[in-house]
Amino acid sequence: MKDQIFRIEKEAREDLSRIDSIDAAEAFRIAYLGKKGKLTELFKQLGTVPPEEKKAVGAELNRVKQWIESSVEDLRKKVPCAGASGAMFDETLPGIRPPQGSIHLLQQTIREISGIFNRMGFETVEGPEIETEFHNFTALNIPLDHPSRDAFDTFYTTHGQLLRSQTSTVQIRVMKERKPPLKIIAPGRVYRPDTVDASHSFMFHQIEGLMVDDRVTFSDLKGVLHLFLRELFGSETKIRFRPHFFPFTEPSVEVDIQWGKGWLEILGAGSVDPNVFDEVKYDTDVVRGFAFGLGVERIAMLRHGINDIRHFYENDLRFLRQF
Amino acid sequence: MKISTNWLRDFVELAPPVSRIAERLTLAGLEVKKCETLKTPVDTVFEIEITSNRPDWLSHWGVAREIAAVENLSLKNPVVDQEKNRMPAKGWDVKIKDAEGCPYYTGVLIEGITVQKTPDFIVDRLLSCGIRSINLMVDITNYVLLEVGQPLHAFDADLIRGQEIQLRRAKPGEKFLTISGAELSLEANDLVVADAERAMALAGVMGGKDSEISERTRNVFLESAFFHPGRVRKTSRQHQISSDSSYRFERRVDPEAVDTGTRRALWLIQKYGQPRSISAVIKAGEKPQLEVKTVHLKSSDVKQTLGVEVRSSQIVSILTRLGLDVKPHSEGVFKVGIPSFRSDLTRAVDLVEEIARIYGYENIPETLPAREPLTVCESPRLILERQTRDLLSGAGLCETVTFSLISEEALDPEKDLKRAVQIINPLHHGLHWMRPTFVTSLLGVIQRNVNAGADSIPLFEIANIYALPDGHKHPVEERICAIALYGKKSKQTWLDAARPVTFYDLKGAIEAVLHSAGCSEICSARVSKSYLTQASSEELRVWQTPVAFLGEVSPEICKQWDLKEPVYYAEISMEKLFAHAKRVRNFKEWPRYPAIERDLSLVVKDSVKGGDLISEIRGMGQGLIRGVELFDLFRGKRVPEGFKNLAFRILYQSAERTLVSDEVQKLHDQIAQTLAQKHQASFQI
Repeated sequence: MKDQIFRIEKEAREDLSRIDSIDAAEAFRIAYLGKKGKLTELFKQLGTVPPEEKKAVGAELNRVKQWIESSVEDLRKKVPCAGASGAMFDETLPGIRPPQGSIHLLQQTIREISGIFNRMGFETVEGPEIETEFHNFTALNIPLDHPSRDAFDTFYTTHGQLLRSQTSTVQIRVMKERKPPLKIIAPGRVYRPDTVDASHSFMFHQIEGLMVDDRVTFSDLKGVLHLFLRELFGSETKIRFRPHFFPFTEPSVEVDIQWGKGWLEILGAGSVDPNVFDEVKYDTDVVRGFAFGLGVERIAMLRHGINDIRHFYENDLRFLRQF
Repeated sequence: MKISTNWLRDFVELAPPVSRIAERLTLAGLEVKKCETLKTPVDTVFEIEITSNRPDWLSHWGVAREIAAVENLSLKNPVVDQEKNRMPAKGWDVKIKDAEGCPYYTGVLIEGITVQKTPDFIVDRLLSCGIRSINLMVDITNYVLLEVGQPLHAFDADLIRGQEIQLRRAKPGEKFLTISGAELSLEANDLVVADAERAMALAGVMGGKDSEISERTRNVFLESAFFHPGRVRKTSRQHQISSDSSYRFERRVDPEAVDTGTRRALWLIQKYGQPRSISAVIKAGEKPQLEVKTVHLKSSDVKQTLGVEVRSSQIVSILTRLGLDVKPHSEGVFKVGIPSFRSDLTRAVDLVEEIARIYGYENIPETLPAREPLTVCESPRLILERQTRDLLSGAGLCETVTFSLISEEALDPEKDLKRAVQIINPLHHGLHWMRPTFVTSLLGVIQRNVNAGADSIPLFEIANIYALPDGHKHPVEERICAIALYGKKSKQTWLDAARPVTFYDLKGAIEAVLHSAGCSEICSARVSKSYLTQASSEELRVWQTPVAFLGEVSPEICKQWDLKEPVYYAEISMEKLFAHAKRVRNFKEWPRYPAIERDLSLVVKDSVKGGDLISEIRGMGQGLIRGVELFDLFRGKRVPEGFKNLAFRILYQSAERTLVSDEVQKLHDQIAQTLAQKHQASFQI
């Protein structure tokens, strides 16, 4: 019996050295350990071994069995595998990708900008797109005869409302609902009857920001906007603050970033005009605030080198899937 | 507007290089868009862009005043006519019949002008500003407009009938032929400058053809007036005519410049036109006064608003340089007199802005506000929206952004548009509805992509739909997530075959959204939508509230967009989803005892609903069924016509004990028998 075991072990060593694939390893295992395997047959004969030798023979059989099992296991790990044998493996074939969709670039841009302001403690809020003249104009210190109120510049509904032409409306709604301190940003769709061309659309996106408390100053506005623009465009970004005019801020500012050799206007801002605080019944002797507004399309176009605003609304998959 | 630097030098010293001054002006809010060097005439020209609150910058003198303030230089005034003892124009009269439209009007009769060449410096300066020389009188009015900002108008006095000037509202339908040759039909809101018989000018906007001055003109009536900004703007917009004059009048001219303009023009006319006589100025009405003539400024306001300390002496210096009259009032308070050309300055904060501009925004330090303890920065509703975007894009769908304004194409006037919000002044013909559904928007996107050669088009969009429900005064907006699937579900790869997208892919996507939001108690019901095929549309309810609907877009509508394959479309109400969403989920222990799987294959009539069978199986499970899964469904082959074969995999498991194979088999057989009886099902395949 021990001779038989010795012979089979020797045979197995020779077979083992010729194995070059997973299949061959499996065949080898079956040849020795399968139901009718060479070693299995010996196990079956164990009953015929005299009792005094049984223990030693059994131990010997188990040793060989374990050796074959671990050898096969080692082989499995070493032989390359592509669901099949090593010969079939082709590392140059393309992988099978999971389905890849996309979040619209405008939404990604809104997320990124909102994220920066969220980290600075600004809360994201939203307001309706169909608005009243009060929220869109009157409360924002825009006089009754201001050109922007014309039907040339604002869409009106048959029931006397309008489509907001700026997200500044949300400032008013939030201030009417809550008491200071406030730190909010409001992204959303806005509408103006502009003829669609490479840089205009009758619907686009803005993000409005507002901070109100009892001590915030113009220099805080400068600090917040500079930090934001560095986060968005990189720490080397050069910016400049240029006086401007908006009815709802005083002093007002336009912020430019350096782009190539020149400067590009990137957002408008300013200290909240006391008339706006009056409209929402805040005490102008106590409250201070700043507000800013930026165009999402413009920023996305700059950052991604997009030359035509219409790409955003055409939704060509070749565009959507790039981002 | 173009500004000649040669011209500016009449009023202020410009230290070269002028590009530095251009930059200083830009940083003070007077934006110089371009700084261009000309060869003929030799000049450097600033292209400026002004904000609507600063009409006083619409002239060379005004820009020079700003340079003087910014650079701390002295400002010279234009040379004007000083003669006080002229004879009145005999027989001439000005009548203001519309004092709102024209509060102040002046005119001068200039007689016996000889034909003279316009002096070179005027020709050159006008040319620098982009204006060609026409004749001396016209050139002088243009010159004065660009120099002091006051628009003038010269009529041929011999063509004025009745020696009378009337400022009146136009008669409705009154005809008027402009200098540029446009024939207008006027309205009552239009202010006209008329003679005894007819309108001679659309006041402040454009003169008329039949009183225009020409080479033959020897006698001129020169007008300088203040017209109401709003009225000029309305007329200009109404007739779509805009001119250098209307541009200034609608932004408000300086009332004092009405006289200055005339006197400057008279000085030039006297010198270069050599007229026989000039009459005294005929004046009618009153110069409008500023509503606020003095403003009190506390020096502490400056620090509180700007966050930087500006010395009192500096405040006085800056405001004085801007032409304001600063006097100390009390401790820390100034009384500031506002000049007639600065109607934009009415409050202390306006003066703070002036100080900031000249002090230099770049010199104000940057600080960060002290952090206040505030609320969370993203609401749970927005977080759910973000998660939904992540889920759907992660599942291979592409988010679109389509216009909220749509046409009524393919929508039902009764079912879809009855409560929809309508726009009265649409920009594009047809796009006058605030969309009540995204279906047509997404069909458009699918069509565009099919035309571009795409064969797998999975889309979604999260935005608002709009409606004016009965009894509401203000429209209601609802955030929805719309999904549209078209073409192939997946591309063929070297491992997998392609297959077309189906209704159940759409349903699965919605189930994934509901599941990810933590919704439970979901059931489906039939639903009817005008644009979905009746036979294959349904609604998903959470706790009996309809949260989503889905279906196949009816083939007739698909045809309108040239789509040959079915479009599967769904809308999920994000608000209702949020109402049923569960942000924090409780842990559920799973049974520790082994489960036993048994398959059940049934042949039933086509009318039997698979979902009903699943509920029935569960119902009969005596609490021992943990899952029922439909793993196969087929018709044909050995299944008779009108029948289908459904194969379920049932998972038996108890939370309390190990189930014995025999008892499971017994229960399984019992379920099979009951179903067979109830639905006349058979087991053979």
